[in-house]
Amino acid sequence: MVIQLENVWKIYQMGDVQVPALKGIDLEVKKGEFLAIAGASGSGKSTMMNLIGCLDLPSKGKILLGGDDIAGFGESQLAQIRGQKIGFVFQQFNLIPTLTALENVMLPLEFQDVDTPAAREKALEILNLVGLGDRVHHLPSQLSGGQQQRVAISRALAVDPEIILADEPTGNLDSKTGAFVIDLLSNIHKKDSKSVIMVTHDFQLVKRAERIVYLKDGEIERIEHKPKEQGGEFA
Amino acid sequence: MKINKSLKLAVNIIVHSKLRTWLTIIGIVIGIAAVVAIVSIGEGMQQNIESRLGGLGADIITISPGGGRASVGFRGGHGGGMPGSTATSAAAENLTKKDVLVLQSVGGVEFIQGIVSGNGQMYYLGEKATVSVEGIDPLVWKEMTTSELESGRFLGPSDYNVVIVGGRIAKDTFKQPLTVNRMITIEEKAFKVVGILKESGGFGGDDSKIIMPIKAARDTLEDVGSDEFDSITLKVANTDDVDQIMEEADKKLMISRHLTEKEKDFRISSSQSVQETMSDITQTMTLFLGAIAAVSLLVGAVGIANTMFTSVLEKTKEIGIMKSIGAKNSDIMMIFLLNSAIVGLVGGLLGICLGTGISSLLPFLGMRLMGMGREGMTTVVTPMLLIYALLISVGIGMVAGVIPAYRASKLKPVDALRYE
Ligand SMILES: Nc1ncnc2c1ncn2[C@@H]1O[C@H](COP(=O)(O)OP(=O)(O)OP(=O)(O)O)[C@@H](O)[C@H]1O
Ligand SMILES: [Mg+2]
Repeated sequence: MVIQLENVWKIYQMGDVQVPALKGIDLEVKKGEFLAIAGASGSGKSTMMNLIGCLDLPSKGKILLGGDDIAGFGESQLAQIRGQKIGFVFQQFNLIPTLTALENVMLPLEFQDVDTPAAREKALEILNLVGLGDRVHHLPSQLSGGQQQRVAISRALAVDPEIILADEPTGNLDSKTGAFVIDLLSNIHKKDSKSVIMVTHDFQLVKRAERIVYLKDGEIERIEHKPKEQGGEFA
Repeated sequence: MKINKSLKLAVNIIVHSKLRTWLTIIGIVIGIAAVVAIVSIGEGMQQNIESRLGGLGADIITISPGGGRASVGFRGGHGGGMPGSTATSAAAENLTKKDVLVLQSVGGVEFIQGIVSGNGQMYYLGEKATVSVEGIDPLVWKEMTTSELESGRFLGPSDYNVVIVGGRIAKDTFKQPLTVNRMITIEEKAFKVVGILKESGGFGGDDSKIIMPIKAARDTLEDVGSDEFDSITLKVANTDDVDQIMEEADKKLMISRHLTEKEKDFRISSSQSVQETMSDITQTMTLFLGAIAAVSLLVGAVGIANTMFTSVLEKTKEIGIMKSIGAKNSDIMMIFLLNSAIVGLVGGLLGICLGTGISSLLPFLGMRLMGMGREGMTTVVTPMLLIYALLISVGIGMVAGVIPAYRASKLKPVDALRYE
């Protein structure tokens, strides 16, 4: 699914002050692309991810997913897109603390009315894939950061979405665990040809992407292309 | 999202905030228990009245002397067992044979009899007691009474100094129980007991009466003239006609006795009308007390709403997470609504258990504290009451949860996710 941003603005209203977080972004992300977004803190990276992920709507401009303007969608349609087409991975993992790893991974499937046995099977399959087959009944609090992030990635993959959005997925992990998580993401990208958009500060990780968008003060500063062979090498 | 999944998530929330949920539930438990207990007292009173008045027979109309159309009286013939009811009324003019003749012309009346009644001193084996004596027409009484014989026989037309004894007098009044063929003395006249009645337990029946032929009663009780009756009872052929016959009897008596509405000196009542009036009173009382109990339910509802708001606030981030992985507003709404419905349901279940328990203890407490007799207080918990209580508690849970659940569902995903 192609993602197009056309002159996208996001302006936050803080009392009387208007804070522009994004100022006229134009970008097209191709199907199956591995894109990194880099930039200083406060440059608008998360804002952009939230818009692409249909968690928020732009103040101005258009966001097209597969050619459809998301501004035209109602609440339940947006929820459906989030549930079926997009998988989120957050810096803080954002697992439901009272559900086990397995239940967390099953949850997006249950929102899509997949019946329990099928959801369970799928969730177990993915958890096995990320090497957590022996931790499925653990609560998030009983898992390490890296394990939690792998559960979160499993959850993002559960509904087999076309786009994976990862906002600083390694931000709370040490570099070794971080590298493992990035490997996982780039593997997903290569194997299943899903579009992956990842926000990161880490220059080592940025290099794994096929294309890097540098944001500065809500604007695209520059875009760096990398030859496909160099991007996403799998350790 | 399917309802069973929403339910699972709702239960998950409850399971992970046990203390707060239990505290909320207690509010509902107390309210529902109070309502159940109070309504059970009302229902008990209702049943008490019904069973006690049942002894009167639904097809019997009683006419007795005494003014005042508004006052519901049941005295004389079939009310002798009621405490405080005396046989004769000094002020009112007694009913006469003429009245009986007039009443005979009322359509739909199957049997009619004039009754003489009063209190008399009774002696039995050296013991003395004041009893209520009723003089009846042996042939008609047999047809009209709802009492049954425990032993012996009914009175016959040729009987004179024989009596039938109410079950309670026979069993409880004297040290030595009365049995058939015993001799007793009433107002210095000797009588032979020929029949003992079964105890009916109600206050409308003949449990505390001595029944004798009317001739004997006239001779025994001092103040009854030879043509006069203390009451007249009618038995109607069809129970449905009771109201209509009462009206007609009333009209005819008024005319024959040359009375205006103001001068009216007799009362007509049926067990039905008495029962209805009593039911109205208990119902009003139950409603009033129930309303007071319902206030505590209101407090419980506010408790649920408060807990739900807290819960939604606490779960804001999780709501954001669920939305980011595909939860619709309706999914979130359902989860939180079910959450509060469960709180209501559990509170209701525990409440009806507690309420039923309290209501079964109340008669004992009533006996102890207020010195009421065994029959002083009964409580009845009907299945309908329990079903209603449960429905109300679930309803309260849902109503109290609607606004918090709606607020939760309307949270913007980004804002919810940002919440710490
Ligand atoms: N809800 C909000 N209300 C007001 N201002 C906001 C809001 N969200 C973001 N901003 C502002 O928008 C700008 C961009 O924020 P954003 O979170 O996108 O930055 P970022 O690039 O993700 O930064 P970081 O690397 O620290 O996560 C910031 O200046 C921030 O203060
Ligand atoms: Mg950010």
